[in-house]
Amino acid sequence: MTTTDVTTAAGRGTVRRLAGTLHRRPRLRLTLLLTAPLLWLAVLYLGSLAVLFVSAFWTTDSFTSEVVKVWSTDNFHELVTTPVFRQVVLRSVGVALAVTALCTLIAFPVAFWTARVARPKLRPLLVVAILTPLWASYLVKVYAWRLILSQGGLADWMLAPFGLSGPGFGLPATVLTLTYLWLPYMILPVHTALEQLPANLLDASADLGARAGRTFRSVVLPMVLPSVAAGSVFTFSLSLGDYITVQIVGGKTQLIGNLVYSNIELNLPMAAALGTVPVAVIVLYLLAIRRTGALNSL
Amino acid sequence: MHLSRTARIALRTGAGLGFAVIYVPLLLVLVNSLNPDRSAGWPPPGLTLHWWSAAVHNSGARDAVWVSVKGGLGATAIALVLGTLIAFAVARHRFFGRDAVSFIVVLPIALPGIVTGIALNSAFGTVLEPLGVGLGLFTVIVGHATFCIVVVFNNVVARLRRTAGSYEEAAMDLGATAFRAFTDVTFPLIRSALLAGGLLAFALSFDEIVVTTFTAGPGIQTLPLWIFDNMTRPQQAPVVNVVAAVLVLLSVLPIYAAQRLSADTATSSRV
Repeated sequence: MTTTDVTTAAGRGTVRRLAGTLHRRPRLRLTLLLTAPLLWLAVLYLGSLAVLFVSAFWTTDSFTSEVVKVWSTDNFHELVTTPVFRQVVLRSVGVALAVTALCTLIAFPVAFWTARVARPKLRPLLVVAILTPLWASYLVKVYAWRLILSQGGLADWMLAPFGLSGPGFGLPATVLTLTYLWLPYMILPVHTALEQLPANLLDASADLGARAGRTFRSVVLPMVLPSVAAGSVFTFSLSLGDYITVQIVGGKTQLIGNLVYSNIELNLPMAAALGTVPVAVIVLYLLAIRRTGALNSL
Repeated sequence: MHLSRTARIALRTGAGLGFAVIYVPLLLVLVNSLNPDRSAGWPPPGLTLHWWSAAVHNSGARDAVWVSVKGGLGATAIALVLGTLIAFAVARHRFFGRDAVSFIVVLPIALPGIVTGIALNSAFGTVLEPLGVGLGLFTVIVGHATFCIVVVFNNVVARLRRTAGSYEEAAMDLGATAFRAFTDVTFPLIRSALLAGGLLAFALSFDEIVVTTFTAGPGIQTLPLWIFDNMTRPQQAPVVNVVAAVLVLLSVLPIYAAQRLSADTATSSRV
């Protein structure tokens, strides 16, 4: 036997012993699996978040913009009492709700058609057609709406025969663009729910004398509602945190994200306090949604 | 449900309009890249390929693509390793806090990007700066990897749940070590899920702008940052149009590949 053979044999023995140890001790295996990811997510990520939220209770020296690490609730007090902040928070929540409502309104006919009316052979293709724009670049989609809504753009051109002009850049443009961005997140769950709706329930409803409208109200809607709630988690929370879209098509409109952004340089503690607002609203929204049982269908 | 003729026509019209709303903006981007005019007026006065050749020679855009590719590859590599490790832990073990682990994985993508962005930014500032390490491509990769882990995790965990652990047990009963069982049995089973997850992670990283804004050092400009910077400059508008058109065309690829790789990925993974 040559020396290399001996070393490889010894190496193989070590590997075998190591494998055996790992196999016999699932706890050790688990520790090895989880150490690196948890260091990354729990220490690096959650740690950063924790520090950020603690810093919301610090203040800034108004002359030097240096962070002063003294515990105070001044930022939150300012947040609640300043009319501008209150206005912006309400506007942001309003935008998120409007986007969610619009998405639901558009998603229903599309999903109903793709799930129940279109020819069954066509349906998988239609799902792909809904999914594809989800992967088109976020920025490009917002840019597309900038092109549409710009002066002399597609919107103006289409509305010109009616003597109207496009909405231009501003709050309505922001709502429109955000609706466009998050629409697939609403269509998909609604499509899945409608697809899984048992046909015999609809037949039974018709046999009992309900017309299409009544069947929709009393049978379809209650069964699809949890999926709408699941989709709304995305449309709502993605709209609430957005500040890029507003900068591109919002004109002078300010949402909560813009306020956070504009405070980062000069007053990080204030930015952190403002940042807690969307997080808190989203958590509240999730808790409310959880009661519908929608989170299980995510 | 029996629908009347009118209801059917109304639905078809509604759905047609819905699909039009989804696709018209993307088509507009494609057509606009051929617009000879610098303004975005409609209809375009003619069609030209001039800006496409101008874009190819635009060094700013080319450099940005390269930075994005490097960042995306780095983030994907880290996400693949960490996401797979967590997926194995969650799918193959029962332990205290398992739900919490699945929750932490989703958190970076569930919270608004700006919150994740400033949290990482101030953490990098306090931890790395004393060490003499500033923001750069490295910090972008760290930031992106954090929210890319979830897509790899989702793909791999879905695959592991569908393939029972008994395959590995059979391999080990036949005398394979745990490592051998992994390379010969488990890995081939999850390979396509890894590929799909990696692809989706790369696409996610390539497209990200908010976390990038806060983690990129001076001089590091990814493609989304470049587009955002040049979008409002009339001088650069035609080149931005071309880059946008290319991105629209490219976006078909990952969805196509992911659909082919695994049916359970495409719908669930961009969550």
